[in-house]
This record gives sequence, C-alpha cells and structure tokens, in this order.
Amino acid sequence: MPSLLGNIFKGWTDYSKGVEEGGHHEYEHMYAMVIDLDLCTGCNACSTACYAENNLAVVGEDKFGARQAMHWMRIERYFDEPDLDKTEATTDADTQSRGASFLPMMCQHCNAAPCEPVCPVGATYHTVDGLNAQVYNRCIGSRYCANNCPFRVRYFNFYDNAESWPAPMDQQLNPDLSVRSKGVMEKCSMCLQRTRAARDTAKREGRELKDGDIQTACQQTCPTSAILFGDLLDEDSAISKVWKNHQVKLGTYKQDKENPELRGYRIFEELNVDTKVLYLERVREV
Amino acid sequence: MSPDRRKRSPFPWIRTIMAVGVVGALIVLGGQMLEHERRGGESPMTESGPRVPNAVFPTDTFAGKDIAQPINYSHKLHAGDLGINCLYCHTYARRSKVAGIPPTSKCMGCHTAVATADDKPEIAKLSAMWESGQSPAWNKVNDMPDFVHFSHERHLQKFLFDNPDMNIQDSREVCAMCHGDMVEVGVAKKMRPLTMGFCNTCHENNDGPADCTRCHK
Ligand code: SF4
Ligand code: SF4
Repeated sequence: MPSLLGNIFKGWTDYSKGVEEGGHHEYEHMYAMVIDLDLCTGCNACSTACYAENNLAVVGEDKFGARQAMHWMRIERYFDEPDLDKTEATTDADTQSRGASFLPMMCQHCNAAPCEPVCPVGATYHTVDGLNAQVYNRCIGSRYCANNCPFRVRYFNFYDNAESWPAPMDQQLNPDLSVRSKGVMEKCSMCLQRTRAARDTAKREGRELKDGDIQTACQQTCPTSAILFGDLLDEDSAISKVWKNHQVKLGTYKQDKENPELRGYRIFEELNVDTKVLYLERVREV
Repeated sequence: MSPDRRKRSPFPWIRTIMAVGVVGALIVLGGQMLEHERRGGESPMTESGPRVPNAVFPTDTFAGKDIAQPINYSHKLHAGDLGINCLYCHTYARRSKVAGIPPTSKCMGCHTAVATADDKPEIAKLSAMWESGQSPAWNKVNDMPDFVHFSHERHLQKFLFDNPDMNIQDSREVCAMCHGDMVEVGVAKKMRPLTMGFCNTCHENNDGPADCTRCHK
C-alpha cells in the first residue's frame, strides 16, 4: 500500500514484529557497529569527523546550553562514585583517579526502533540496509520520535543554522546529503551517503559489496580504531566475528553468555529495542 | 428522562456529516485510481521510446521556460541534423552522478576545423571566450532540489549499457525519457516535470529501488 497510511501501518507492524519476534525486517544488509571502549580515549575526533561529513551545524555556546546542539555523535562522560574510604588524592573530582570514562553515543539503529511507529508521516523508517533512516524532506517536525528515543540521539533544527558556515566555509559542505533546514529532525545515519556511494562503485565494477567497502566517517577518523562498521548478515565480516566472539545475540533483551567475562554489551538491552551497536566494556585496573 | 428526549439523537447532523465524508472519500479514491491509470497506462513512449523490454515510462510533459544562455547553442542542429551522440559532449553521464557540461575545449575541438568563427556570430562569441580563456556561464536547465540524489551513471547503466537491445548510438532515446527529445528544441529547455511522481512511475514499472533513502538525501 504505497500511501501515507500504508507507511504508518508498516511502521507499526515492523515495530511490533521486531519486539515479538526479535528483529524482524526484510533486510538486504544489516549494517551495525562495534565500539571498543577500552580503546576509546575520549578524544572527540569521531564527533568532529561527523560534523564535517554530515553538514552538522555548529550552534555556539548559548544554543548548546539550551540543549539545541546538533551533534549526531557525542562523547558522554561518566565518573565513578568517589570512594570515601580512600585517601584524598583518589577522591579528587578533578583527577583521572576518580575514574573518568567515555562513551561515544549516537543512534543505535534499533531493529525495533521506538522512534519509527510514532512518526505521523512515516519520515523515519528502516531501510533495506537495516539502518534507521530519516527522510528530511518528509519530516514535519512533530518531534515525537525524539521523545520516544531512549538514547536521546535525535536532534531538532530549531533554527536555520546557515550562519554555521560563513563563506568560504560553505565550500566544505558535503554535497552528498542535504543541509537540513529549520523544523526538521536529524540524527546519525551511519553515513548512509557512503553506503550509497560504495554500492554504486560496486555496481560499476560489477561485483557484490564486500566487507570493508564502507567506512563511516567516525570509524575512518578514530585514531585508536575503536570503531568497527560492517554487515551483520555477512557471516565472514569482521563485525560479525566480533559479535560472535562476544556472544552477543540480536533479537533478545537478555544476553545469555556462556562466559560472563566477555566484554560485549548493548545499551538499554532490557528495553528490547534490539540495538545494533555493540559496546565493548572498558577494563580498568583497580 | 422523558421518552421523547431519549429518542432525540445527541448529534442530529451525524448522518449528513458521515454521508459527506463517504462521498468525499469516494471522490479522493476515485481520483487517485484515475490518476494511477493515466500514469501507468499504455504509453506512446513504448512505440517511439527506448527499446527496453516491458518498460512503461512516464509521458508527462512540462512546458519549460526559455532560458537565456550566453551562446545560443542548438541541440536541434548538433544532436539532430548532425547526429552527434549525447554522450560525446555530456561525457560524464556514463560514469558519474552529473551529466556535466563539456569544457570549451571540446567545442573548439570541432570548431577550429568546421564552422569556424568567420560568418557565424554565435561561434564568434565562442572563439572570443576561448581566446580570452573564459568559460561560457551556462545557466542550469534541469535542476533537482538539494534533497534529491540522482545518478546519471546508474540510469545509463540500466537502460543503455546493461540492455542488450540498445547500442551506444541510441543513447538519445534513453536521455529522452527524462529530458524529452532535445532535438525538438534549439536552446535547451526543461521538457519533463521531473517530479517525484514522474520518477516513481518509472521506478514502479521498471523495478527501480523503492526505498526512500535511495533517492532522498
Ligand atoms: S537509537 Fe533512537 S533514533 Fe536511533 S533507531 Fe533507536 S530509537 Fe530511533
Ligand atoms: S575517535 Fe575513537 S578514541 Fe576518539 S572519542 Fe571517538 S571512538 Fe573514542
């Protein structure tokens, strides 16, 4: 049913099947990510690369303070609880010894994405590549999706942020995706334009897409190679192997690992949204 | 509560409103079906259009404005009377997203030998620009909005290169699907609407991708 209502019904059916049957979708690929928090140094290079690749607006301090930042990928900081039994030095809030850790957070491309069924116009949906995509020119800015996303990774254009790119900086805008205008929701697309380009290259060369053809901007930039991107439907891809090695399965809200020491975990697994970003826990010497 | 009070409907207009609603819905649905029939129906392009098996192409036309160009380049003369292949000048179409405008050197490749500047004022303009090292500032004719991803390469690959019924000399038939037959006009004009419905007619009938993000960016 190629109509507006049809899209909304499809969103709901996909969602409920995703919840009940675990990741039901008609995928050709299932692009996913692994982020090794042990390698991540919190340098923010990935976030910066994302700004450059995806035409993200730099909003400035005031709007940032008003929670109108547009970073599709952000580095979240966490600090351990101070241990009051220990000495002064280890409990000092300003030192590393208090246990700062970082977590790059972006759209988790949930298989049962809670943001999708609530969109009144079907502007966010799952592509055949297994990615949660946002169609900017369809979005009417109701912001339901952002309110239903458990990860808070959807960003709303409160302004036309054109002053973000004063001349000649507009020359560095990426022509492969649009500059979003006021009133449109946006979020990490796992560099969909690169997937598209890689697919076109593969077709030109008359072959299938292979593992490593597509690199996301954050992955390409990360100095410690903490980020890995690839196709989970491809058994032999590097990323499938990591998921398998860490015994993390899709389509479940509770992992049943043989070896609980393995570091892999998914954020908010218990919500049963079936995210496709696997984080590898940080190991710390005590 | 008195008996006649109970009889009265709480919404006296509900039947009228519902009737109007049903009639409205019928009109909308009927209109959509007619529109679908018109778009997807037998198309004259299959007669004169490109030889692609089972293909149904949109035939909507668009009366584009005359766009002034620095040089009155005639497609009718070059592609029609002289029979120059579209891909000779728009050479990037086969390997990139944009078809491109040929560099002045490509024009001069012929115009130093044939139809030189002597008595033709338009070619005199071209030679003058070539001498001064300045490019003609062509105006864009078919402009897609920024949120549309369109790749000439993919379309040529499907309809021209991967289609055994076509040979490279026939590229004009393929280009005409979206651009109209350019030999009908002199200076280029937009001749097809290039709206989403236009694209979709073809995508639905020829197994084009239906995923939003294949075309929207
Ligand atoms: S992380 Fe949020 S925005 Fe991304 S798919 Fe899940 S619910 Fe949607
Ligand atoms: S670029 Fe790599 S190391 Fe730096 S913050 Fe991002 S994931 Fe961590």
